[in-house]
Amino acid sequence: MSEFNPRENYFALLAVPQSYEVNQSDLTRRYRELQQSAHPDRFAGASERERLHAVQYSSQINEAYETLASPTRRAAYLLKLAGVDSDMSSTTFQDPEFLMQQMQLREELSELQDASDPESALDRFYQDLDGAANQQKSIFSEAYAQQQFDEALASYAKLQFLEKLRSEAELKESELLDY
Amino acid sequence: MLMQISEPGQTPEPHQRKLAVGIDLGTTNSLVATVRNGSSQTLADLDGKHLLPSVVYYGEDGSISVGDQALALASGDPRNTLLSVKRLMGRSYADVVGEESVIKSPYELLDLGQDMVKVRTRAGDLSPVQVSSEILKALGQRAEETLGGELTGVVITVPAYFDDAQRQATKDAAKIAGLNVLRLLNEPTAAAVAYGLDQQDEVAIAVFDLGGGTFDVSVLQLTKGVFEVLSTGGDSALGGDDFDHAIAQWFVAENNIASLDMYQQRSLLTAARQAKETLSTEAEVLVSLGDLNAKLTRQQFNDLVDPLIDKAIRACKRALRDAKLRNNDIHNVVMVGGSTRVPRVRERVAEWFGREPLVDLDPDKVVALGAALQADQLVGNRSGDEMLLLDVIPLSLGLETMGGLTEKVIHRNTTIPVAMAQEFTTFKDGQTGMSIHVVQGERELVEDCRSLARFELQGIPPMVAGAARIKVSFQVDADGLLRVSAREESTGSESRIEVKPAYGLSDTDIADMLQQSWASALDDKEARALREQQVEAEALLQALSAAMLQDGEAMLSELEQRELLAKMEALHHEREHGTAASIAKHIEIVGRGSEVFAERRMDASINQALAGRRVDEI
Repeated sequence: MSEFNPRENYFALLAVPQSYEVNQSDLTRRYRELQQSAHPDRFAGASERERLHAVQYSSQINEAYETLASPTRRAAYLLKLAGVDSDMSSTTFQDPEFLMQQMQLREELSELQDASDPESALDRFYQDLDGAANQQKSIFSEAYAQQQFDEALASYAKLQFLEKLRSEAELKESELLDY
Repeated sequence: MLMQISEPGQTPEPHQRKLAVGIDLGTTNSLVATVRNGSSQTLADLDGKHLLPSVVYYGEDGSISVGDQALALASGDPRNTLLSVKRLMGRSYADVVGEESVIKSPYELLDLGQDMVKVRTRAGDLSPVQVSSEILKALGQRAEETLGGELTGVVITVPAYFDDAQRQATKDAAKIAGLNVLRLLNEPTAAAVAYGLDQQDEVAIAVFDLGGGTFDVSVLQLTKGVFEVLSTGGDSALGGDDFDHAIAQWFVAENNIASLDMYQQRSLLTAARQAKETLSTEAEVLVSLGDLNAKLTRQQFNDLVDPLIDKAIRACKRALRDAKLRNNDIHNVVMVGGSTRVPRVRERVAEWFGREPLVDLDPDKVVALGAALQADQLVGNRSGDEMLLLDVIPLSLGLETMGGLTEKVIHRNTTIPVAMAQEFTTFKDGQTGMSIHVVQGERELVEDCRSLARFELQGIPPMVAGAARIKVSFQVDADGLLRVSAREESTGSESRIEVKPAYGLSDTDIADMLQQSWASALDDKEARALREQQVEAEALLQALSAAMLQDGEAMLSELEQRELLAKMEALHHEREHGTAASIAKHIEIVGRGSEVFAERRMDASINQALAGRRVDEI
């Protein structure tokens, strides 16, 4: 049986196999178990040092969970474990199909504000975005499993791109719907 | 040998119940609740009233009255009767004096630039923190008198939407009131706990909390005792007070009133509030101010408040989007806050979520009831219970980068506690200082976000540009409070600093306020400081002796045990014979000396919990 070590590999910490495919309910169950014993509220009557440790441990568990629960962050973490530098600053895309898809999505996004029903136009946009992201996730998953890290890195870059588009859409959403 | 060190009475008795309460520090009303005979109940004052109006009156004779007594004096002396100060907590003048209208704040606010706003009264210029501490003190006293003993700790609720400055201000107010804060709990989370909605199956619920001055919505996932907040949102300047203001504005327009003095304003707002309450049951109401009258129908009232309710619904929409859920995924909607009594609010909420909201518990009391349950658990009265509350940070934390832009370091709706670090470098050769600006908010421009802290990092060893590695760490604890520290890493020379929010109070401010609040001589202050240190020493010795009894032999070598015990013995001696300062010093020594032990115990307790589970699973 492995000992609890907060600095351990996130997959080991959350007791799920190290792969891009994760069982979300196993992940969540283990996460809750860990928090049940490490959360600072469990140490409300303890000494200040113990409470400080609890805050640190609990933060670490949250970080591990949020990394593995997010498809994009999980991909980045797996690349890091494989020793692949996932810094995107110098990446260029040479995939015409993806570029085309990007252009279409961008166009859809810029036309949102003129749509007669911006709310449902937004919903459609999010669906298209999800579709594009799912495509990249399965490419990443397969490439990573076969240790084809160049290909995995490329699909991770695309995932990040789509994520950026999503946050732009969310910003637009708050303007359009006046949150 | 180990047993002899802990004197009788130092080891906590396992079955002794500790006194703990939950306090709902509200904009309009405040409440205190505790768990008695297995159920959570709010505590009444001597007249049998549970709600304490959040009003403080500073009298001519230097007396301070709180609650109904103060409220009775509100229209007679508006300048010295402070209402709704929760709206001022942790805010600057510019924050609170937003839109211009005929209906202004009925008391005088002082513009202190970036610092927290103050109120000018005959008792001096008061921070909202001080005023709030009077309310907390009154509730603390009520609890101690009713329960017949000293409180071990309190849980105080805050709107989930409160930012770091507002949370810190609340905690400071408790400190000044002499209360030991176990936890700041988000109001919606407290409400969910009070309803005890948790069940075996995983369900999502929404908490719709419309109070006097704030609106909060939270989406939670509940499973077997775990209350996990998925998202939270709201408006820290939207509440029932705005309904009153809307009626008052309508009345002003209806009667072509050009201006109102402070007394008239106060009377008009009171009339407006009464009209609002009447319209919950009647179809129409006559609003009067002096000789002026106007009839308000429920339909007119609905039209007046609909734009305000729209704002609340939009916040719900966003909270659901953040939680990645749709309105029909929501299993239950919990209603909190007095303003959810307005029939139009219930109507609109039912319509939007497509289900009737839960209103079984008194919407004014539900938050305090939940806070009491949490307090009871935190002091250890409910062992074996596995309730766990996982909250989120409501607003993103970021740093200012080139060109006045923000770079987010921790995103909103991240589960807390959370720690993040970011590395920076110097951009000039030989640069030895660096300025770091921490902000909170969602907007891209720094000027649109809340400035939390600005600090200069000094003493970076001179190096070529880009060689220094400065690591700035953010730690947000379970109360949602931030600590920032910075360290130069490349040389190993640590220059570690800790940052307090700009809007918060400095330790000196707090010390001054504490002194004022004791309103006593210097001797008293020293006596108090001594007593505080003695209590802290006692608590530390108790916690440690219990820990030593349990795990000392298993986890520490004989030498380690002996060293730690010697330090404890020295602290015990100081506690009896030392000064406040010498006790504080020994508390620090024992604290440092028990560091390794604390760490081993944490690891072991987690491993034990996990081992137990794994055996079950196999």
